[in-house]
Amino acid sequence: MKRYDMIIVGAGPAGLSAAIEAAKRGMKVVVYDENAKPGGQLFKQIHKFFGSKEHKAKIRGFHIGEELLAEANSLGVEVVLNAIVIGLFPEKEVTVKIDDHVEHVKGDTVLIATGASENMVTFPGWTLPGVIGAGAAQTMMNLHGTLPGKRVLMLGSGNVGLVVSFQLMQAGCEVVALADAAPRVGGYGVHAAKVARCGVPFYLSHTIVKADGDEYVTGVTIGEVDKNWQVIPGTEKHFDVDTICLAVGLSPMSKLADMAGCAMEDNPAKAGFVPTVDKYGETSISGIYAAGDVSGIEEASSAMIEGRIAGIAAAAKLGFISEEECEAEVAKQETALDGLRQGMFAPGMRGKMITETEEGVEISQNLLKKGFVADEEIERFPGVTHNTGVHPVIECTQNIPCNPCQDACPKHCIKIGSNITALPAIDPEQKCTGCGMCVASCSGQAIFLVNEDCGDGTAEITLPYEFLPLPEKGAKGTALSRSGEAVCEAEVVNVRSAKAFDHTHLLTMKVPKEYAMKARFFKEAAKS
Amino acid sequence: MRIEEHPILGTYEKGRTVSFTFDGKELQGCEGEPIAIALKNAGVMVHRYTKKEHKPRGIFCAIGRCTDCVMIVNGKPNVRTCITPLEEGMEVRTQYGVGEKAEGGAQK
Repeated sequence: MKRYDMIIVGAGPAGLSAAIEAAKRGMKVVVYDENAKPGGQLFKQIHKFFGSKEHKAKIRGFHIGEELLAEANSLGVEVVLNAIVIGLFPEKEVTVKIDDHVEHVKGDTVLIATGASENMVTFPGWTLPGVIGAGAAQTMMNLHGTLPGKRVLMLGSGNVGLVVSFQLMQAGCEVVALADAAPRVGGYGVHAAKVARCGVPFYLSHTIVKADGDEYVTGVTIGEVDKNWQVIPGTEKHFDVDTICLAVGLSPMSKLADMAGCAMEDNPAKAGFVPTVDKYGETSISGIYAAGDVSGIEEASSAMIEGRIAGIAAAAKLGFISEEECEAEVAKQETALDGLRQGMFAPGMRGKMITETEEGVEISQNLLKKGFVADEEIERFPGVTHNTGVHPVIECTQNIPCNPCQDACPKHCIKIGSNITALPAIDPEQKCTGCGMCVASCSGQAIFLVNEDCGDGTAEITLPYEFLPLPEKGAKGTALSRSGEAVCEAEVVNVRSAKAFDHTHLLTMKVPKEYAMKARFFKEAAKS
Repeated sequence: MRIEEHPILGTYEKGRTVSFTFDGKELQGCEGEPIAIALKNAGVMVHRYTKKEHKPRGIFCAIGRCTDCVMIVNGKPNVRTCITPLEEGMEVRTQYGVGEKAEGGAQK
């Protein structure tokens, strides 16, 4: 029987991170993954990640995946693909199906990093071809270069639903609406805002009544729900779509932990049935660890840190490092993890109604109900100020763990402080040079450079732009408001692209100056 | 429909164009991509019909988990087309129920 110091199940962010930490300390590590390619879902994540530098903030998920893989390879981690772990036993023996045979291997430690699976909802027609999971949409677009459909309705306003809606538009689909049975947007407001300003209507307190079609989806009907989640008659709305995308949450894939006999709990704060783990990620069985979504649904950023902690702890357990070294290293990782678990989207905040930010600013209710901050609400946030000349307007209105904008500004105009969930504020003493680094660094695409009065009755707004075709200087079109409504005519006066911006182009449009604080997106006029 | 150029990902690395058949009709796809992706780009939505109610099924999870997309590939039923790489000359057929067997028990 083959033996390893550590057997890791799952080559996603948690598994690879654990493998790196363990291998770095001299352990012989194998990672099994059922897929043909490693990286879990990281290679489908094309948006810039949140957090701070230590969490790899502002780096796109697939680049983080590439970095992890390269590091694991350079450390000699053995990654076995198309390998399905079908058994895990309390003695840390593992049975794994590879091709058409089963291997039996023994680990001195085992990490379960199997991730999560997507939840589903049922409605008449939900089994029709054309009803797909949000993960399927990401797989088709971002791995295989294929559009899931032409016209899509998204169900689910959590971060997955919001991020995938944006990705669908980036790929070239039309997102006709975003619906959620919940009364409030579940994901980050900045993700919602960047979808809304492209013109996608949000239907909160709405669910799918039925999907139309005999052989495949040809349309969808949604309806408003009452407080008992029943559709209110007469509120039905119909859309012609060829695709219905479901993003209704994730559940931990914890069957292996249960099978091994680990103590399990049904914990709503962790979004499902999970193994109970201590601060090292160790389950009730000594030497069996769990990290990432399998032990509680969170972001990939926290999964990577949990994986690192498990790798370090396993090294200490087997004597590759001292207890003292383990404690010191784990403490460092815990600080990083704590940084991510703050703010209004922290795991403990699930389902709680929040009315004010940490700074005491009233939360935008329009953002929660319609996906964008209303004109009359935007002025109260500390990132939104007025000045002469070009200056940043930061429409970041919720306490989320993210601070790249603060580091990005060479002139130190933007202040967040050491608490990374704080709302960014503008230091009026510092002079903005209009370099645009903050605009490109904002993972939420919530920063705009505004010159409110160019002296000729116009204003200039620089916005992040991640679509094709990229408008050229001189292009004429329409400026859209935060809600995606056409507000005025606009002309592109500059388009900046740079390697440091990482595919986020900075598009500057000229609008009549009364729209300086209203126009937030550019739609090019159809070329004749 | 294929994405020619993506604003973040640029162009996609794809295998050479190969021919395969779907219910006897010749189609084209990229070698090595999942069969389901080649079918999707050829406009095929229905992969199989369920046994009892004869209801259509197609791609649902696209990561080999839900088994909605199974078809008969080179005579073998229940092949998860979303994770099975396309090869030149593959014979892909719509699956009815749990897949048919030829006389003598051998898989057709």
